[in-house]
Amino acid sequence: MSARRIVLTSGKGGVGKTTTTANLGAALAKRGKRVVLVDADIGLRNLDLVLGLEKRIVFDLVEVVEGRCQLRQALIKDKRFQSLSVLPAAQTRDKASVSEQQFAEVVNGLDELADYVLIDCPAGIEHGFRNAVAGAAEAIVVTTPEVSSIRDADRVIGKLNERDMPIRLIINRIRPEMVRTGDMMSVEDVVDILNVKLVGLIPDDEEVIDTTNRGEPIVLVPDSRLGEIYEKIARRLNGENVAFTTLSAPGIFSRLFGQRKAG
Amino acid sequence: MHELQEDPAPGEETVKRPRGRAIVITSGKGGVGKTTMTANIGTALAQGGAKVALVDADVGLRNLDIVLGLEARVRSHVLDVLEGRVTLDDALVTDKRVPTLRLLAAAQTREKDEVDTTAMHALIDTLREQFDYVLIDCPAGIEKGFTNAIVGADEAIIVCTPEVAAVRDADRVVGLLGNRESIKLIVNRLRPELVRRGKMLSVEDVNAILRLPLLGVIADEPGVIISTNKGEPLALDVGSTAGAAYRAIAGRIAGTNTSKPLIPQPATFLQKLGSFFGGRR
Repeated sequence: MSARRIVLTSGKGGVGKTTTTANLGAALAKRGKRVVLVDADIGLRNLDLVLGLEKRIVFDLVEVVEGRCQLRQALIKDKRFQSLSVLPAAQTRDKASVSEQQFAEVVNGLDELADYVLIDCPAGIEHGFRNAVAGAAEAIVVTTPEVSSIRDADRVIGKLNERDMPIRLIINRIRPEMVRTGDMMSVEDVVDILNVKLVGLIPDDEEVIDTTNRGEPIVLVPDSRLGEIYEKIARRLNGENVAFTTLSAPGIFSRLFGQRKAG
Repeated sequence: MHELQEDPAPGEETVKRPRGRAIVITSGKGGVGKTTMTANIGTALAQGGAKVALVDADVGLRNLDIVLGLEARVRSHVLDVLEGRVTLDDALVTDKRVPTLRLLAAAQTREKDEVDTTAMHALIDTLREQFDYVLIDCPAGIEKGFTNAIVGADEAIIVCTPEVAAVRDADRVVGLLGNRESIKLIVNRLRPELVRRGKMLSVEDVNAILRLPLLGVIADEPGVIISTNKGEPLALDVGSTAGAAYRAIAGRIAGTNTSKPLIPQPATFLQKLGSFFGGRR
């Protein structure tokens, strides 16, 4: 069976691509899937940090491309999940050192080793973006409910449409209390504008700042609200029909005044 | 009002004015607040009477126009100027609120690879003849867009959030900036309460790695998201804490403010109570 190759992209930086890639990968691995995460952000890699694997890097993607090591040698096994591994980006090279075709070949080489290959795309729509997309057959666009993020997501969706690949949407960092006061766009507004299939809604939660800094996947934190959400996204990606449940938002405002969808 | 002259005759007043300062606002990592910072610092500097040009170097993914609320007024962009279709004067959009503030928008439907680095440098030089400050909003990453954004600037402001990934990227960018005249740091989106609980890096933690002169610290507050969505820079809001911090940063850049940056502290119980009953802010 061949792997599903999915790029996580956004246009705008800092919307949560890397954190989402790491946690979604961990959630899929928790479900027993074989997962390889590919860091396409050559020169500014961070996926290794988010998973706490930065000290274990021996080889990287550029060295694989240049034939200085085997693909299997460059894969770092996760500390917690047997079936999760990371292909790190090179830190001291630039994105132009790998061509689109070379990138696609590396990803194709993972076909036998994984059920899911998740590619963490760099910000922007330059060479690094083109590489990341060249390796993928499907895309997940990550956006926040902010005007600039949505504008960039729209631009990226246009570029992905040219390549005719299925696109799914994750809306990240939703602040339900701000949606309620009309200070933040609602999920419906964002989906209306971007018009792609929704696969995840993630509330803004300070928990993720801490787990990301500590290099720990949130799906391993017991009773974590965000952990459950990533697991739901993993199930949806896997073809299950999982409803978007209504969760109460954090903070006293929303507890007093209302509830918003999450999941 | 000031005049923009592409080619001033010798002996005229424009020749004598000192060359403006070109400052690039950069970070490596995206989404740390570069564009919001550029808009607010520029607004605050211009509000103080300086002539300020803001240049959006994020060709293909521009957003500075949105943050300033000027998107409907943008008719031409950097590449139109570089390719000779319009004059620089025609491409500069005057801000709605502060008349000495101008925006040079990025092209939205073009690629960063299409911008010639030498031509970009020359454009920034031309702007420096006409403005006191040229602030360049750098795209995320360290590809061609980054190269083009930093080429004309001899000063840099690094925007960094208190996150391990942002610090690592910022450190890489500091290395790539090389021997600039000045590289200074703004720590953005600090959550003092999380720092107190040991759940977020402190300003000291960040700067233990980066070791740069600190220009300012901005706390994370919903007001910034709201103002960005609305296109109304908080620097003009006298009641906003972030707005005051942006103005203080502008003062430090201009040299009119010699105070050390304040590190935002966790709210006291009474402040929390006040904000609960009195709404945000």
